Amino acid sequence: MAESAVRIEGLRKRFGEIVAVDDLSLQAQPGEIFGLVGSDGAGKTTTLRLLCGLLKPDAGTMAVAGVDVLREPEQARGRLGYLPQSFGLHDDLSIAENIRYFADLFCQEMSEVAERRDELLAATGLAEFTDRLAGDLSGGMKQKAALICALIHRPEVLLLDEPTRGVDPVSRRDLWRIVYGLPAEGVTVIVATPDADEAERCSRLAVLAGGAIADLGTAQELIARHTSRLVEVSVADQPRARGALRELPGVAAISSLGESLRVSLTVDGPSADELAQVLREREIAIGGATEVEPRLVDALLLLEARAARDGDA
Amino acid sequence: MRCPAPLRRMLAVARAEWIHNVRDRRSLAIIIALPIMLLLLYGYAIDFALDELLFAVLDEDRTEQSAELVRSMASSRYFTLVSAVGTPAEIERMIAAGRIRFGFVVPRGFGEDVSAGRAGQVQVLLDGSDSMTAGVALGYVEAIVRERQLDLIAEWAARSGVPPALIAPPIDVRTRTLYNPELKTVTFMVPGLIAVIMTMLAALLTSGCIVREREVGSFEGLAASPIAPVEIIIGKLLPYAAIAVADVILCIGVGWLVFGVYPTGSRPALLLLSGLYLVASLAIGLAISSVARTQQVATLLAFLATMLPTLLLTGFVFPLRSMPTVLQWFAQVIPATHFLKVIRGIYLKGTGLGPYTQETVALAVISLALVVLAAKSFRKSLE
Repeated sequence: MAESAVRIEGLRKRFGEIVAVDDLSLQAQPGEIFGLVGSDGAGKTTTLRLLCGLLKPDAGTMAVAGVDVLREPEQARGRLGYLPQSFGLHDDLSIAENIRYFADLFCQEMSEVAERRDELLAATGLAEFTDRLAGDLSGGMKQKAALICALIHRPEVLLLDEPTRGVDPVSRRDLWRIVYGLPAEGVTVIVATPDADEAERCSRLAVLAGGAIADLGTAQELIARHTSRLVEVSVADQPRARGALRELPGVAAISSLGESLRVSLTVDGPSADELAQVLREREIAIGGATEVEPRLVDALLLLEARAARDGDA
Repeated sequence: MRCPAPLRRMLAVARAEWIHNVRDRRSLAIIIALPIMLLLLYGYAIDFALDELLFAVLDEDRTEQSAELVRSMASSRYFTLVSAVGTPAEIERMIAAGRIRFGFVVPRGFGEDVSAGRAGQVQVLLDGSDSMTAGVALGYVEAIVRERQLDLIAEWAARSGVPPALIAPPIDVRTRTLYNPELKTVTFMVPGLIAVIMTMLAALLTSGCIVREREVGSFEGLAASPIAPVEIIIGKLLPYAAIAVADVILCIGVGWLVFGVYPTGSRPALLLLSGLYLVASLAIGLAISSVARTQQVATLLAFLATMLPTLLLTGFVFPLRSMPTVLQWFAQVIPATHFLKVIRGIYLKGTGLGPYTQETVALAVISLALVVLAAKSFRKSLE
């Protein structure tokens, strides 16, 4: 088998009392889009920062494209592209100057990367804005420019930290289109995201909670493993509805998603109609209750709730 | 890596920093307006007081009268008599070597003149390269002589019966000032001011450069690249060293045009030493920038860390001699202490680097130590 694109073993990092990453191990294969999913504070950003050598781990080993991150940090960083949450661009440099800056930092001749740059500019729709200062760009454009900078040296592994945070839907689509094209070039992508919809786009996922991997697999595997039946109840008074449903036999978990509650049920649990009946008896107005296909978000919410319970226990 | 990677990455950092400074109005204001403003603002006098000024005496008269005058000088709490010498040249040598602040000469015939009721002449030789001290010293000398005059007048009046008010002053003080003949405060102030302004400015310039990148988020992209910490430090220093030396030239120009004060000694030596000296301040700014959480904090720290010690502890305002020994030792660690001596020497005494080997070496050592400190604190801040 080929060498893993990213290999992390027994990684630990603590900040004072807080354990940010707790005995984390994973491998991403070449050409994979690997998702790190979890809520804020789950350890996603810390893991990425450890991978690109911005932080020193307390224990564990990491390798990027076969290069040991701790023993040969300069070599390893040369093979990485990193798109931090904060964009990472110089606000008072133009897009073109930022690209040149990153090409220089990674020791690429502009003549060599010109083709790559033009290709990426075209793909992001930024070709006509190259003279604009990064500070004057919208969130979406900024993020696309930052992506160009992270890709300009043709990294073997690209690390994306919540790439679509604060990005408009159109730019979001552009970004993902570029990211989707990367595996075909042999680039492995590790993307950290708190967003289930985005996580669904990954080939494999590691669900992080409290710095540890709660589960790992494809989106389908995670859904199958952690959900069985699901009823969506649209209800205005969510706290009262929760109170009424929580104690019912067969109700595994309740999470809220927008205007509705998503009630996870065991296979022999109550039906959608029975749930609606319970709420009506308590005089809680509902917009409807329907059995729906479980999605990744439900699996994640359940996993998180369980991790929180385990953490408390 | 195929290319001379470290150099290339350093230059990338330097270029980005340079572009930032050229485009950012606040940076431009600090670079151009601030030094001019400060130089003009502080180009005027501050108040000074001294004690225990060292001096030498040349008594060519050797009479009862001259001995009496020298005694009253030596017993003043303002003066300390270092030695009695035989020739005026010796006094000049001692002033040049910095061993005394002034020389007091009583020419032959002084006693005779005074006894005969004629005005006797005395001469004071002052070190004008430190005009503040010289001015104060002269004032004290005149005060002591005046007291002695009152005694003499009273004596004469008693002897001759002439009312004291009608008796002409019996002693005439003649001064001769070496190095800064007009004894102008501004002549003395300008080189010192340039040193102080540049100290603060240099630290202020670099104090923002790392913390700013952290604030806007561009730092992560930089730190995640293959660049080494020391390359970042040197890359950041390069443009600011150029800017700082340009600012020294700007200050020299303003001092020349506005105050008519210019370096009479070796100008290449002055620029060379300024460069060496400024590295120290730039490094202080970088160290602060590595540890500060916000740009405001960094600016404030840079100001405090450079302006206060430079103003108070280097001999710029208060002569080092009048300070407790502990502070005098501490002053040796402050780069401005050494630079002040050199820049005043080059400006006022017209020297080159020759007489200042000790100061040059001290500056080089302090600058190097501060760069290492900056690199250390930067590396630590990456953790």
